[in-house]
Amino acid sequence: MSQLFPAKQVLGFVFSLLLTTVALTVYFLDMSFTAGMTILLVTAFIQAGLQLVVFMHAGETKDKGAIYTNVFYGLIIALVTVFGTLLAMIWDM
Amino acid sequence: MKIDNSLPLEYSTEENSLKILGFWIFLGAEIMLFATLFATYFTLENRTGSGPTGAEIFQITPVLFETILLLTSSFTVGLGIHAMRIGKQKAMITFFSITLLLGLAFLGVEIFEFVTYVHEGAGIQTSAFTAALLTTLGTHGVHVTLGFFWGLFIILQIKKRGLTPQTTNKAFIFSLYWHFLDVVWIFIFSFIYLKGMM
Repeated sequence: MSQLFPAKQVLGFVFSLLLTTVALTVYFLDMSFTAGMTILLVTAFIQAGLQLVVFMHAGETKDKGAIYTNVFYGLIIALVTVFGTLLAMIWDM
Repeated sequence: MKIDNSLPLEYSTEENSLKILGFWIFLGAEIMLFATLFATYFTLENRTGSGPTGAEIFQITPVLFETILLLTSSFTVGLGIHAMRIGKQKAMITFFSITLLLGLAFLGVEIFEFVTYVHEGAGIQTSAFTAALLTTLGTHGVHVTLGFFWGLFIILQIKKRGLTPQTTNKAFIFSLYWHFLDVVWIFIFSFIYLKGMM
């Protein structure tokens, strides 16, 4: 039975619950917008990285380089899309 | 077909490795798709017109349920893949079934949430904010719905054909998709709900 629950994945799950709890503090505690957004950005991106490495086995085979390059490419386009839009539409720069 | 026994079954042929890499490229495109939805949402989130604001309609309880359900389902599908790699077909099917049940429960809570929004006067046509919100949440929800049926067919195929290089490859790719949906939800949870309720 215990071989069905590898330590790496169980710890990954516990850690992801922990990150969710930390993210929830922005709702339950009173804090500034900047502090709240900082917490959310940090917890969300760690959480995403955790899923990628622990659960999606991104670095396991010889395709590791291609997989990470592709994910980072997608991520860069995503960040440019989101922050470019914010710059032009919201922050008026 | 050359089978490399040093690798897990789902990677064992050249074709299998290529299919997994191909699916990662698809996921890269999905990241960009959701980025455009988030960019739209962030642009329109304060354009509430005469409709309600996010702070008025968001409720922490259903959102917490959805988050826990999806996080746990991502964990169980990971356990399913682990069981598959050590050749335990029964355990794998059990973990996959739990995953799909959790996914179904997630969809149940999300549908309940949408019905509540509409009752509170926040339909998809109410304001720019509700349109962007429901489109983003809806796109994620449609992905989960699709994933539910995909996973169901994978389970049926593995019951019928057992663990072969083909079926394990399909199951592994499904698990990538399911984890990805969890990642997207983390961003929805953080930057739509928690940010909106802060």
